[in-house]
Amino acid sequence: MTRHAIFAGLIASVISVATTAPAADAPKEISLGTLYASSGRFASISMPVHYGLKLWIDQKNAEGGVFVKAFNKKIPLKLVAYDDQSNTATAATLYNQLITQDKVDILIADSGSVLTSVAVPIARDHKMLLINQTGTGATFFTPDNPYIVLMADPVSSVWPKPLADFITHDGPHLGIKRVAILYATNDFTGTQANAVRKFIKESNSDVDIVFDQGIPTETSSYTVLLNNIKASNPDAVIHLGYASNDIAFLRNVQDSGIKFNFVFCIYPGLETELLEKNVGSKGLNYVFTYVPSSQIAYQSQFGMSLNEYEAAWQQKYGNTNVEFGFNSVAGYTTGLVLEKALAAATSLDQLELRKAIFSLSGNLKTLDGTFALDEAGAQIGEITPLGQLIAEGDHVKFVTVWPHDVSTGKPIYPRP
Amino acid sequence: MLVYSLLAGLLFGLYFSLIGLGLNLVFGVMRIVNLAHGDFLMLGAFLAFWLFTLISLNPIPAIFIVFVVFAIVGLPLYYLLVPRLLRAKDPEMLSFILFFGLSQVIEALATIAFGTSERSIPGGELGRAIVAVASLLTGHHVENGPVDIFGQTFPAAWVASGIASGIAVLLVYVYLYRTRLGYLTRAVMVHREEAIATGINVHRVSAIAFGIGLGLASVAGVFAPFMLGSITPAMGVEVTVTSFTVIVIGSLGKPLGTLLGGIIYGVSYMFMQSYYSSWANLLPYVLLVAILLVRPSGLLGRQVRRA
Repeated sequence: MTRHAIFAGLIASVISVATTAPAADAPKEISLGTLYASSGRFASISMPVHYGLKLWIDQKNAEGGVFVKAFNKKIPLKLVAYDDQSNTATAATLYNQLITQDKVDILIADSGSVLTSVAVPIARDHKMLLINQTGTGATFFTPDNPYIVLMADPVSSVWPKPLADFITHDGPHLGIKRVAILYATNDFTGTQANAVRKFIKESNSDVDIVFDQGIPTETSSYTVLLNNIKASNPDAVIHLGYASNDIAFLRNVQDSGIKFNFVFCIYPGLETELLEKNVGSKGLNYVFTYVPSSQIAYQSQFGMSLNEYEAAWQQKYGNTNVEFGFNSVAGYTTGLVLEKALAAATSLDQLELRKAIFSLSGNLKTLDGTFALDEAGAQIGEITPLGQLIAEGDHVKFVTVWPHDVSTGKPIYPRP
Repeated sequence: MLVYSLLAGLLFGLYFSLIGLGLNLVFGVMRIVNLAHGDFLMLGAFLAFWLFTLISLNPIPAIFIVFVVFAIVGLPLYYLLVPRLLRAKDPEMLSFILFFGLSQVIEALATIAFGTSERSIPGGELGRAIVAVASLLTGHHVENGPVDIFGQTFPAAWVASGIASGIAVLLVYVYLYRTRLGYLTRAVMVHREEAIATGINVHRVSAIAFGIGLGLASVAGVFAPFMLGSITPAMGVEVTVTSFTVIVIGSLGKPLGTLLGGIIYGVSYMFMQSYYSSWANLLPYVLLVAILLVRPSGLLGRQVRRA
């Protein structure tokens, strides 16, 4: 009897320890380390992403934290964020600090390819999984590097496919046979230029590239470049740059009086409100651009709907000078994917986190569309259709023109 | 392409002459390098932006308001910073540190006040001012739009900026060579100690030059949304580097040499954009190194010593 009682007690103790041990080991908080740029060239694309991520963190903490499967409980999130001021050297130091000094559980890159580029080798050296929010440069993703995953934008090597497909399929019928490409020489837009070039060449269509020139990302004066493009007599002009590039480019097009039949820029779609303020609806009229997630109400499987998210954003950040747009959705999407990953990962080990994120590939729909990764961690879902902007008063509306199965109208070519 | 690049370079260069003019005046008179020069340009740009946004004031009349505001701001700022700096053993070197700090403070405060996003004034606004003047001069209605120069078409804003820059250079010339205060200013530029010995109120002369320097920077800022695409609180540092290059090419300490430096920079930049566009932004640094190696005193350097 006594022996039985002792044995039963031992069993009970073992079971008790086995069930309570993970909870006892659970950290008080999960630390997320990231950078943002409050000033400098990339501030206008960094702050919306950062604010989007922060909004998700604040929401989760208000609910008592995020559910972590490894500890079978909700754990609060702690954000450790430093300002890199758009400086890559500062960013490199701060990424190291997040890993070696702050010892964060999850490392999240700043927005954009330029400020992500320095994080890629650092994360790899320290065997930390880099949660890459919007750094879409294709060179970041190699089969031998398991420590990176792209969360909220398609990788630049596939992103411009709708644009190139439209030009090579519908273009010749509309009269587009000569294309000019002007691009900023950074990982983001340089990769997009390579992709457009490759897609056009591989299409075996009648479309020729008659102007193909790279410029520094810091370029702010386009008058001479526009004149040179005009001299090549293109039917379509593709400008690939950051928001500040697009603003200067489109303002110069407007002021110079040069008329192009087809103009494509990236940021009128991604940061529409910002471009409306700087270029005006008249300057954006008939411009082709990507139709981003902030314009298409993708049915997210969880989290807020687009309208709810925008309302929450305006309530929290409406008084700041940071505009709602594609990048603000990207930051929130990063949070949603992380939430799902933490709910699936059996530990906080970096490769286990990667495995959990990869398990979502193809099975998760967020505000950015279908989350899908290739084997190197590059985002190949979340593809943005091609659209054309039409002025309506002081604002512009999107007309999706490619792919045909999602189009909402016909393209207007040539630009009136 | 060649002619267009040349003419565009001249207009662009004239604008950079305006940007560098104030910096060179301050260096010429006080032998200090105002590394916050680009930040005052940025503040001038934002003042013009807000004047346009809040009361729809066209940038051309805004020039006068912006100049006066910053010239007035420059006077107390001079007395707060410069006399102490000049008492140091190496004021030139210390000025780098002090004004770099000031630049950082201005940028941080501007970021808090204005946010991080790009801002601009509609491109047609400068053209509208030109149209009004041209219509007045010719007696008939002139269309708003690009301007034709020798068969080449340029944005009206570029032409307005070029004209304003030319006028600013001319006014600085008149100030330095045709006014009593200008004579005194040149005397301080030649030899500060001798100027003190002859009874010139050096601080008064310097404070006015400092105010004019800031005023010129802010006037250049009014044109920044048109010439540089848009404005942000972070734009100052890049502008300072380029304007420093411009004044080194022309000659440090000789304000009117800035005109030559600006035009060389502008024309070179446009040729680089046409023929080696990927490398265009290296130009300021390449020119800076080349001038310092070949002719450290700048292209008009010798004349400075005799001014």
